[in-house]
Formats: sequence, structure tokens, C-alpha cells
Amino acid sequence: MNGFQTQTGARAAYNGRKLSEYLLTAPSFLWLTLFFAIPSVLVFAIAFRTADPSGGIDAGWTLASVESVLKNAYLGVLWRTVWVSCAVTAICLALGIPVGYWIALQNPKYRYWLLLVVIIPLWTNFLIRIFAWRVLLHPDGFLRQSLVALGIVPDDVFFLNNIGAVIVVTVYTCLPFAILPIYAAAEKFDFSLLEAARDLGASRFCAFRRIFLPGIRRGIFTATLVVLIPALGSYAIPDLVGGVDGEMLGNKIAAKASAYRNLPEAAALAAFLSIIITLPVLLFLLKQKRIIRSVVAARRSAGDSTK
Amino acid sequence: MAIKKILRLFSAALAASVCALIFGCGPSKPELNVYMWSDYIDMDLVREFERQNSCKVVIDIFDSNEFMYSKLKAGGTGYDVILPTSYMAKVMFDQNMLEKLDLSKIPNSKYVNQKVLSDLAIDKKMEYSVPYMLGYTCVAYNKGKIGEIPATWDVFSNEKYAGKMTMLNDHRETIGAALFFTGKSMNDSSDQALAKAKEVLLKWKKNLAKFDNELYKVGIQSGEFLIVQGYSGDIFQVLAESPNLAYMCPKEGISMSCDDWVIPVTANNKDLAHKFINFLCDPKNAAKNMEFTCYSAPIPEARKYVSEENKNHPGMFIPDDLYKRGELIRDLGADNSKFNALWDAVKGN
Repeated sequence: MNGFQTQTGARAAYNGRKLSEYLLTAPSFLWLTLFFAIPSVLVFAIAFRTADPSGGIDAGWTLASVESVLKNAYLGVLWRTVWVSCAVTAICLALGIPVGYWIALQNPKYRYWLLLVVIIPLWTNFLIRIFAWRVLLHPDGFLRQSLVALGIVPDDVFFLNNIGAVIVVTVYTCLPFAILPIYAAAEKFDFSLLEAARDLGASRFCAFRRIFLPGIRRGIFTATLVVLIPALGSYAIPDLVGGVDGEMLGNKIAAKASAYRNLPEAAALAAFLSIIITLPVLLFLLKQKRIIRSVVAARRSAGDSTK
Repeated sequence: MAIKKILRLFSAALAASVCALIFGCGPSKPELNVYMWSDYIDMDLVREFERQNSCKVVIDIFDSNEFMYSKLKAGGTGYDVILPTSYMAKVMFDQNMLEKLDLSKIPNSKYVNQKVLSDLAIDKKMEYSVPYMLGYTCVAYNKGKIGEIPATWDVFSNEKYAGKMTMLNDHRETIGAALFFTGKSMNDSSDQALAKAKEVLLKWKKNLAKFDNELYKVGIQSGEFLIVQGYSGDIFQVLAESPNLAYMCPKEGISMSCDDWVIPVTANNKDLAHKFINFLCDPKNAAKNMEFTCYSAPIPEARKYVSEENKNHPGMFIPDDLYKRGELIRDLGADNSKFNALWDAVKGN
């Protein structure tokens, strides 16, 4: 009798907890459904509709748009989008890790000032900062003129309107987003571990590579995602500082939706892009799950009863 | 405590906005919602129209015909009068999106140039549209740095200016220029013509810094670019500010475009919309508008009211020889996709 009562009591408590959990997650769940899931499904659906030549969506269903997107014509743009984004991510990590490491080592009194310096450029509008780069890299600008005068740069090399400019400006806009998560991870890192590694005979670089980098891998992973994903979808930067060969997938999607009046092809390209973005993330998450599971299994088999 | 304070503030704000709603508007004036291109109308005229008709004019801006069209197609309503380019007005009319105009409510339509209507216009009888401004595409260059250049589209093949030239990021205009250069019409969608145009474009592309519709205006002024293809109104506005720049109109042919006022079937205030179109066709108002935009209103009578220095302005009064070389962009229906594929191929290489 008594046992039954406690059981129902526990169940009621459990149900109550479950209900409150549902209620707590409901707003974000609704938000994601309304503004992420439904639009994504619509994009994927429109990709299979027929286009009417005046620019609308017709009633029929077709594979033509998807086929045309998968045809060779877009492989060039796709390849450029991927390699530019990967290059940008690599450069951002190469710059962001040392900066994050350095800031985390500073006296806490100054750390926040240093972080402020990283963030301050974000107070200025994104487009205005890109236009500032156009001034900086201008062919008659101070930078190029002085480099040409010093003989470092030949006269027929321009800094603007090429893929190099796209990479430089994208790295510039993404760098704060790489530094912040790396710093956040590095701040929690126990730097005495590095000293321990040195005591055990590791070289400075070896300690950095084998102790520090794995120690902040979550920060590095977050930084990779927050740089790579926006870079893959970038549109304004290639448009403003890119040249005749600077187009990326984002620009193609915009052209299809407006100038070409072909919404299904725009949708097919957009769907394609989101698949490209989702795949690596999904693979990573699966791999991580497997690692966690194998760790748990290893512990169990070693007789570790603490959960 | 804090929550109480916030609540009090919030209720005060709510009360204030309710009061504003009740007392702010008073008897509401009729509203005319205009949907058009930016910097394309003299705001003094708009204010005068508001005074004359005791109404309020709200202007909303689009930057491409296609964007405007897709917004309307997606259910955008509330616009009383819209200013698409002729080819798009035709598309909209064919889709039953436009009201038939009542010309008896637009008496000033008699001033519209019959020659322009018969030569260029798609809607020759002003059944659903009234032409507003004519413009063309030409080439601006930095005369101070490179001297006089010949009037031909072939300048873009000159390697001397490599990396310092731009063409429009508009497939119809840029492919059109290549078609003109090969001696074809810019609306020619035959496979041979397009194949030849592609060859020409690929040659030009090697020398271009960019395909661009906006930055070229600042770029040509600042010396970043030496030669740019652009729209006449934009180019004349830039030329007025920089005396070292000049322009030329390629001898092979130029594209002309005409923007037309139309009234969508969903308009709330059709009478006022007719009045607005009529107001802008008035020769005095057209003259004022031309001097503001540097584009050409097809109202010959307006020339009387334009100031002396602008009476022969090449943007406001298109010279006869140019007018003869000009061609209007037409909608190609299903053949649009050929132009799209060609443009993809040119840009992707």
C-alpha cells in the first residue's frame, strides 16, 4: 500500500517534471519550427516545383531544377565556395588560437580590455566596414601605392576585385567570432598542465600541440563552425570586393531568385548549400556520440560503477 | 520593486500609444502608395501633389524589376501606382496584375510623344501603362587619364585598361552589348548569335575588374576604374560632379529602356493614382523631374520649361542619331533561360 503510494507519488512528480520540461522547451521549439523547420521544408519543396517563365512557381512537380543544379555548370562555383570558406576558416584558426591563448594568459584586469578591442569593430555596421576595405585596397590608395613605390608589388597587381580580396575581407569579418570561443575555452584551461608537460620533457611546441590544443578542442570546434558556416553562405563580400571570377553560391542563389526569375532553381541551390553545411556537422556529432559511448563502455568494463 | 517599475513604465507607454492612435491621426487623409526606383522623382513635385490633392504620398523603393515582381506575386498589396520597366509591365499585364487605364482621367497623356510610343513602346496605346522616363546604356571613361576613346563596344577588348574596366552585372545589358558588337539585335536569342556573343564576352571578361551595377559610379570618380558601362542617368549625375570624366555611346547600338507607370488591380486608391500619373505628365512638372533625374521624359512640350543650359542635355533630350541606334529590352519568355545559361557559362569560367 505504502509502496504503491510512493510509486504513484513518484510518477506524478515525474509527470510534473516532464510537463514543466515540455513547457520550458515549448517556446524555443515553436520558434525553431516556425522560423527554421517550416521555411527549410518549403525551400526543399519548392526545389521540386516547375518554374513558370514569368517568374512564379507552377503547379507541377519536376526534377529539372535539381538536375540543372547538379550539372557541371555549378561545380566551379561550388568548388570555389568550398575552398574559399575552408581557407578562411584555416586562416581564422591560425590567427585566433594564438590570440585566444595570449589573452587567456594576461592579467585578468586587462583581459576584458583586450576582449573589448576584439569586439569594438563589430559596433560598426558590417557593410561600412567592407566599404572601408575598398578604400584601403584602392589601386590609387596609400597601401598599394607605397608597396608599388617600394618595389614589393609589381604595378599590374591589384588588391581589389579578386579572390584574394574576398578571402582577406572575409577573414577580417569572421576573426572576432573565431577568437571569442577559443578564448572562452582557453580561459578555463588549466595552464599548470603545460608546465607539467614541460617537466616531463615535452618541448614548448609539443606541450602546446599535445596538451593545450586538445584541451581547448571544444572552443576550436565552435570557432570552426561559426566561421565556416557564414563563410559558405557569404554573399555581400564577394559581391563588393570580388572580381569577375569571385562569385560564390550565395551570389548564384540571389541571381536565380531575382534576375533569372527562377525560384525553383534558387531553392534547389539553397537546399544544396544547406546539405553541404549540414553533412560535416552531422558527421562530427555522430563521431562524438560514438566516442562518448565507447568511453562509457570502457568504463563499465573496467568495473567503474560511478555513472 | 523592479518589476513594478517596469510594469508601470510599460502601462504608461501603452497608454501613450493608445492616445497617439486616437488623437494623432484625426480625420485621416487619403494615402497614395507609390512603388518605384530610388532617386527617380523630384521630391518637391511630390510635396506639391500632396498639397494640391490634400493627400499623403508614401514612396517605397525597389532596386530590380524582378524583386518588385516577386514581391507582388508573393501577395504584396497596398500599392496604388508602380513604375516597372516596359518589358516587366508587359509581363504583369499578361498575368492580369494590372488595371486598364482610364485615359479620360489622364488628360495630360496627350503630351506623350507619339513617336516614342510608336517606335519604342510595347504598350503603344497606353492601354495599361504611361511612359515616365527613357534612359539608355552608355560608357563613361576617365578622359583626364586616358584621353579620347573611340565610340565602340570593342574598348573592352583593349588590354591596356585590363583590371580597370567594369561592365554591368545585368545579363540582358552585358550580353546585349556583345550582341550589338557582333552586329545583332540585343533581343536576338538564336543559338548562333548567342554563341558568337559568348566568345566576345569571354574575351572582354579577361580585361574586366568586375561585373557591377552600383560601385562603378564611385569607382569611376575615384580613379579605381577607367572605363565603365552604366545607365545614362547615373552616368550624367556622376559627370556633373567630375569634369575629368567623359562618356561615349557605342556606334554598334545601345540599349534603351523606358519605365512606365502602371496601376495594379489591387490598388486601393485608383482615382488618386490616375491623378498622380496625370500630374507627372504635365509638361512643367516633367521638365522639373528631368532636371532632377537627368533622364528623358517622353514629353516634347517639356523642353520649353527646361533651363537654358539643359536644353541640349544628352540625357534629358536623347539626340536623334542615338535614338535611332537605340533598342528596347524585350521579354523573351521561354528564351530567357538561354540568356541565363549563357550568363552562367560566362561568369563560371
